[in-house]
Amino acid sequence: MALPPPDPQFVLRGTSAAVHTLHFSCGGQECDVPILFSGSENGFIHVWNLKTHRVNAALDGHGRKSVYCVETMDGKDRLLSQGRDQRICLWDLAEGRTSVTDSVFTENVGFCRCSLLKVAQGRWLMAMAKALEEVQVLELPSKTSVCTLKPEVGAKLGMPMCLKLWQLNCGSQPLLLAGYEDGSVILWSLSMGKVLSQLVCHQEPVMSLDFDSEKAKGISGSSEKVLSIWSLNEQQNLQVYKTHNLVNAGISDITIRPDKKILATAGWDHRIRIFGWKKLKPLAVLDYHTATVHCVSFSDHKNPSERLLAAGSKDHRISIWSIYTQT
Amino acid sequence: MAVFDTPQEAFGALRPACVRLTRAQTVENVARLRARLAAVSAPALQELQEYVLFPLRFALKVPGPRRERLVQSVVQCISSVLAATCVKKQELLQELFSELCTCLSPPSSSSKPARLSEELKLAVIQALHTLMHSAYGDVILSLYQPSTLPLLGFAVSLLLGLAEQEKAKQIKISALKCLQVLVLQCDCQEHRHLDEEEAQQCGDLFASFLPGISITLSRVITGDIKQGHKTTVSAIRLFYLIVGFVMADAQLARIPKNKEKLPVEQSRISELMVHRGPDWSKSTAEKLSLLLHKMVEFSSVHPHWKVRLELVELVHHLLRNCGRALVASFSHLLKAVVGLVNDESSEVQSRCNEVLQGIAEQRIVAQNRALADVLSENLHSLATALPRLMNSQDDAGKVSTLSVLLGYLKLLGPKINLVLNSVSHLQRLSKALMQVLELDVADVKIVEARRWGCEGACRPSGPLQRGVQKGRAQKKYFRFFTEERVFQLLQQICRVLGYYGNLYLLVDHFMGLYGESGAYRKQAAMVLNEVVAGAAGLGVDVLREREVSLNVDDLKGSVVSILDEYTDQANWYLITSIDTEEISHEHPVQRSGLAARPGGACGSALLPAPEPHVTTRTLNSHIWQICIQLEGVGCFAAVLGKEFRPLLLSALYPVLEKAGDKTLLISETALGTLGDICEACGYDSLQCLINENSDYLVNGISLNLRQLAHQPRAARVLDTMLRHSDASLLPLVEDVIQDVLSALDHSYSTQASTFLGVLHSVTAALAQWFGASRGEEQTGEWPQGASSQGQQVVTRQEVEQFFLDYVRQKQIAEGNLPDAEAEESDEVPPPAQPEQTSSDTAGEAPLPSHAQLAKDVMERCIHLLSDGRLRVRLRVLDVLELCVTVLHPHGNHLLPLAHRAWPALVPRLTSDDPLAVLRAFKVLCALAQRCGDFLRQRFCRDVLPKLSRSLLSQAPASARAGPVYSHTLAFKLQLAVLQGLGPLCEELDMGESDLNKVADACLIYLSAKQPMKLQEAAQSVFLHLMHMDPDSTWLLLTEVCCPHRYEPPHASLRPVKLRGMETQRNEFTDNVLLLLERLQRRESQEEPSPP
Repeated sequence: MALPPPDPQFVLRGTSAAVHTLHFSCGGQECDVPILFSGSENGFIHVWNLKTHRVNAALDGHGRKSVYCVETMDGKDRLLSQGRDQRICLWDLAEGRTSVTDSVFTENVGFCRCSLLKVAQGRWLMAMAKALEEVQVLELPSKTSVCTLKPEVGAKLGMPMCLKLWQLNCGSQPLLLAGYEDGSVILWSLSMGKVLSQLVCHQEPVMSLDFDSEKAKGISGSSEKVLSIWSLNEQQNLQVYKTHNLVNAGISDITIRPDKKILATAGWDHRIRIFGWKKLKPLAVLDYHTATVHCVSFSDHKNPSERLLAAGSKDHRISIWSIYTQT
Repeated sequence: MAVFDTPQEAFGALRPACVRLTRAQTVENVARLRARLAAVSAPALQELQEYVLFPLRFALKVPGPRRERLVQSVVQCISSVLAATCVKKQELLQELFSELCTCLSPPSSSSKPARLSEELKLAVIQALHTLMHSAYGDVILSLYQPSTLPLLGFAVSLLLGLAEQEKAKQIKISALKCLQVLVLQCDCQEHRHLDEEEAQQCGDLFASFLPGISITLSRVITGDIKQGHKTTVSAIRLFYLIVGFVMADAQLARIPKNKEKLPVEQSRISELMVHRGPDWSKSTAEKLSLLLHKMVEFSSVHPHWKVRLELVELVHHLLRNCGRALVASFSHLLKAVVGLVNDESSEVQSRCNEVLQGIAEQRIVAQNRALADVLSENLHSLATALPRLMNSQDDAGKVSTLSVLLGYLKLLGPKINLVLNSVSHLQRLSKALMQVLELDVADVKIVEARRWGCEGACRPSGPLQRGVQKGRAQKKYFRFFTEERVFQLLQQICRVLGYYGNLYLLVDHFMGLYGESGAYRKQAAMVLNEVVAGAAGLGVDVLREREVSLNVDDLKGSVVSILDEYTDQANWYLITSIDTEEISHEHPVQRSGLAARPGGACGSALLPAPEPHVTTRTLNSHIWQICIQLEGVGCFAAVLGKEFRPLLLSALYPVLEKAGDKTLLISETALGTLGDICEACGYDSLQCLINENSDYLVNGISLNLRQLAHQPRAARVLDTMLRHSDASLLPLVEDVIQDVLSALDHSYSTQASTFLGVLHSVTAALAQWFGASRGEEQTGEWPQGASSQGQQVVTRQEVEQFFLDYVRQKQIAEGNLPDAEAEESDEVPPPAQPEQTSSDTAGEAPLPSHAQLAKDVMERCIHLLSDGRLRVRLRVLDVLELCVTVLHPHGNHLLPLAHRAWPALVPRLTSDDPLAVLRAFKVLCALAQRCGDFLRQRFCRDVLPKLSRSLLSQAPASARAGPVYSHTLAFKLQLAVLQGLGPLCEELDMGESDLNKVADACLIYLSAKQPMKLQEAAQSVFLHLMHMDPDSTWLLLTEVCCPHRYEPPHASLRPVKLRGMETQRNEFTDNVLLLLERLQRRESQEEPSPP
């Protein structure tokens, strides 16, 4: 008989609002304290010390509007956050500072998280939803626009729902995967500014997607009961590879673990599901939360045995799981 | 005194006496000379020294049999001369020396000492003593030439003979003193200091005497105790002085390899000389070692403390001077001095400590590998013997044995690691500790002592007010000793080990023992605690600071690993009680829980196999193990101080778990540990500790609630948190209380009783924190009823209602009876309805969180009210009462709940176990305070008939009953009902017919036959009734008994006839009269004018 699913290693409380996004920063030097950033509905970004399990600092930069995306840029001292106040803020957290150094105004009013890709030392590309159907790619920290990706007139894709910037290897062309409101996933070429491939995976809006550039395979989840796995062939064509039916509808977040062995989904049914990435074999259902799980995130610890999975939920709690030791 | 200052005058005075003495050697002449001498000044006498000495010496040399008295007086005279002058000529010194010695030698050349009078012997010894002191400067050294060796030898053997064989103490002591001077070790400061070369020469000379001296002295020392301590002390002193001189490391080091050739003429003498080469010193050391062993054995237990003190000096002296030469003897010597640390005499103790301190400070051991080896050898053999000794010795013996062990460790100091690195040494030592520290686990009381705090409704206010309480270790009972001092010594031993020893090595080793066998676990934990304390330098008494102080990170590392081991499931969750409820709830499930837990697989292997019959010993042993581990946690906190804070993440939860344990000893120890943690981590109070770390605790609770097996413990933690904190905790734990409720929702059938405990503590805490107003309400029964009406703010609705009522009453009075339908439809709405509507109009104002909680809890309780288990029902009723109390100010929410609870409450009141009825009645009273209108009808319809029936039916029984009755359940129930009924009637504002029912049921209890308490309670019911309806109560009471005749004011009126008037005095009379009197008084107070 399979082992029963584990309990969380610990649970972080105290955000006093629904948690929308999580981001680990644990890959630093050994003496560094592992950190988890969480963005919550009340507009605060909490910096959790994973040694003491307590909040080191609470950053307030989005006018008490929900923060739904937090990313670090090289270590834990530079932070990017996106909030419902239509701003993307860049933070400087070095030496205990908590100041916003720069911010970008987005016209988009949706929930589409921006996507960040490091292209060179100190240079990033950031894709963000703009206006109604467009996606804009900026270079950071200069904030110069690289391109604006506009679907063809009459495509009726709806708003972009999720974005994923990636490149095959360092130096190659960056590409963008975008999931749209109508359930389709589109592969954009940034250099040409045009659609390389389009695939309709879902009947409902694509809520989240993640892509494994090594296997050239991606996965997307929507508000329906289906996970869709698609692959990218050499001709840069997206094809449906497999679908996986779920018991309960609604996936709010999907993350493939950095080692590409397993993936985790955050479900509206309060559960976190773990799958093997290769065959999408269901591995575990982690049941702890008492409300919708909004986000899942894997940690970037250098030592694989220390790595963690975190999930943030509407019930104000962040559960931390250690599932590496068992899989 | 001196009359003759110049030599001339002196000569004149002395000459006749000298001449006379030369002619006739008589005692009288000597005496005359002596008398003259007394008048001569010292400088003058010095000039005439030889002149005066001549007749005296001549007198000694006179051939023929000696007259003892003469000799004695001559010798005394000589010594008086010598005392005043100094000898400046070598020849004179030598001659006098030999002449004096011959005085004691036997006349013939027999080996036996001459049979002489003791006075003479004493005189000669003193003369010799004086002579040695009067020798001038270098002159004395002329006596210490190889050529004079025979003479010296003669003197030495003479004196030794006296010291050994004489009976008189004084002679013995003087002989030893004299000998001491003779070997140039006099105590007085007058002597010239020998330079190195001279000392070396003298050492060579004395080496020849060493065997004789040492053997004789050892005989003296170990001789009869009756010889007095002074002799022994002098002998010991002489012994160590001479041995320390001859065997001095400094001297031996300078001895050439080969014997020097002396000039030919001295060849005979040179044969007598000893060459102190390596061979000699080795063999001598061996022989001395034997002697020393004997001496030490004997004198370390000598009854007189000065002897023991001198022994300490001996060790000190020899250790300082002959550390290398006599290394073989040190095992005895050190043992002696280490053992004497605990001497009964404080002088000896302090000197011992000084000496040991000195040894440690001069790093004698640290630098001398051989000495360290000796010590570790001693340690090994002592450790081997320790269990046997601890088994056989009495307490004093144990103390001394252990202090020896402790002394060795202290002396070894940093060299302890030499011992620890040897596997066999460490094994011996640790096994010895394990055996000695074995606890006595036979006491049943420890298993039986329970903590009932969570049961009682009256929470002791103690724990809340109590601030930081320093944890004091529980008194332990050991198998092999009872003396507290023994334990302290063992503690010190472990701490010293930790202080000097390699912490990692020690922790690793004792952790090994901890895991190795259940038999060692408690002891190993005890040792570990002390070792860690010692490593941090807490409470260690050492001779010398260690060189490198411990790295905090190392300490922390060790502490973390020990903590992990302690709080491991297999070591932390032990069966400590045979309480069936607890076992069935915790342990079987716990095992399944273990299996279910992925990480627990290895833990379950260590878990002692589930025994069907757990003996008291096992339980006791488990309790102690947990206590020791808890003490360990406290100790670690003390060791790490603020550094312990990060560890609270993992350590605090288990400790709180134990603080809520049912076993008294465990919970007390855990509270002590919490106190320690507070102090160490800088929290002001336990409450502070709990509040500031509530996130860790809440996390633990919520995670543990997910596992069925851990639920009871999680509940216990929450219970403890609530118990020791205040209202400020509530927002922090609210979250988790919800978790508890949802966990309860999942397992009503199995875990209900567990969770009810928590719910009880939650509601009790809420009631205490937020329900303060209730206590005030309850304090005054009588005046409150009257005043509350007066003080209540009259609302608009009430005024309106009053007028409506008034109008209606008036219409009725006028005969305008409205028809029945109309009345029912608009005038008398169901009592609950006005409240309901008012709650609607008030709107759903958000409840304060504590009230919301109470509401949630109450909802659960409603489900559980009709549980099959009596115990559960009782608990539920308790919780319900508290919920009602908390919800008092929130009537809008309480009423619907009361409505839902009522159907389940009625069977509790009417047809349940008396215990349940009792508590249900309390709930009822609590409810009535707020929901009077709601309850009135229901109470009168559903409950009152049953209650009054049971009161009536029980009355004959209680009237007949004896004094024991007051302990029965039936009595308590009667009492509670009678006490509660009065306020209940008033709060429910019951109608007249119902009041009559109550009065009928209670009247019978006014009988003098009833137990006093019931009478009083019944009186209180009537007092309440009087308050509500004075007139009918008066009538009722006067029906029973009427003290007054009521004369009609006018003849036209019919005389008042009351049934009570005719009755004789009966069982009710007293109480009724009392009540009537009260009524009278009340009436006259309230309304001065008659109605």
